Amino acid sequence: MMTQFIYGLLFYIFLMLPPVANLVESIMITHMHMQMPMLVVSGFLMAGIFLKRFPRFFEKWNSNGIPGITLFMIVIIYWTIPRTMDEALTYQAIEAWKFISLPFLAGFPLRDSWKKLTKAGKNLIIIIFTVKYFGMGALYIWSEDQLCNNYLVIDQLTLGWGFITTAICLVIYLVYAFTVDPTKYE
Amino acid sequence: MFKNRHTNISLLVVILFGCVLFYIGTDGFKAFTEETARVNKLVDEQPEFPNVTLEDSKGRTYSISEFEDKYLFITFLYTSCNTVCPQLEYNMAQVYDLLPKKYIGEDIVFLSISFDPERDDPSTLERYRKAFKSDGETWRMARIKDQNELDSLLEKFGVIVIPDGRGNFTHNSAFYLVDKNRRLIDVMDFTENEMAADKVTSILEKEVGQQ
Repeated sequence: MMTQFIYGLLFYIFLMLPPVANLVESIMITHMHMQMPMLVVSGFLMAGIFLKRFPRFFEKWNSNGIPGITLFMIVIIYWTIPRTMDEALTYQAIEAWKFISLPFLAGFPLRDSWKKLTKAGKNLIIIIFTVKYFGMGALYIWSEDQLCNNYLVIDQLTLGWGFITTAICLVIYLVYAFTVDPTKYE
Repeated sequence: MFKNRHTNISLLVVILFGCVLFYIGTDGFKAFTEETARVNKLVDEQPEFPNVTLEDSKGRTYSISEFEDKYLFITFLYTSCNTVCPQLEYNMAQVYDLLPKKYIGEDIVFLSISFDPERDDPSTLERYRKAFKSDGETWRMARIKDQNELDSLLEKFGVIVIPDGRGNFTHNSAFYLVDKNRRLIDVMDFTENEMAADKVTSILEKEVGQQ
């Protein structure tokens, strides 16, 4: 747990280094589909030690994982609004908010909540994200306007297709989850 | 699911947090893109058109005070653009035609400003002007030669221009209306010609009526 925390922390610091942050933020799709998930991952790694140290707190306030996963979804959805991504580049405060909210308000609760959810609950979350990703993909691809002032329209198209591709992967997983019974192969 | 009181409380807190977050993040569900937020803010703040020196398609050089006591209908463009700018200028021409003739040149001047001063010299602008049948007097095309002056104007009016490295720019487009006191009073959707024309006409009618 301690090593995991250290790796998570180092990863977090690495993502914060100005050259690293500038590089991934210079391209729209790496900003959203690389930097943001990696921030969540860093929080996820760092969370373990806290869950272990304060199990009572999480058991009391997040007993079934629903509040935690809701918080996770709120934060993730918030960061897929075109405006928030633009503002992270334009305003220092919003950039700082991104680096705080994604690891600590998305990565942390995800770690505590995911294992507490039932199988149906997990699939429901994945279905929500699938629908959302198809929607966001369609928005970014077929929007007539330039949604983000800081990025080129071609970047916007790339991001849209990135969303669609991710959604397709989620669909494949869901088909697998609903049709294949793993116990048959054990 | 509803057995644990504490968990229900925390769920409630999380949902409240979410509502507040989205409310603040979108200015009360009004602006989901930075562009909408930018326009709302500009119309609120009414920034002043900074003192810049223009060079128009006829090679004339003058400061913005040349247009004292006139409204200005402005667009920002670069002539090598083959995507949105021709559309923008075409629509600008439509608005020009839709306005009552008596105001044109008297109370309002149309101004297309290039943010690519290096390539858009007077002769290039002159060609562009002819292509859109602007008369070069009541609808002028000009560049701002001084990069600092240009940048200060773009920044004040929230025009974001990103070079793509291949000689093109990505930029946001709109119709800008500046009043007689050189204050930006409206930023309009450049795809809604008639709406823009109606709005400008009603502003001019009010103004002339007051005199």
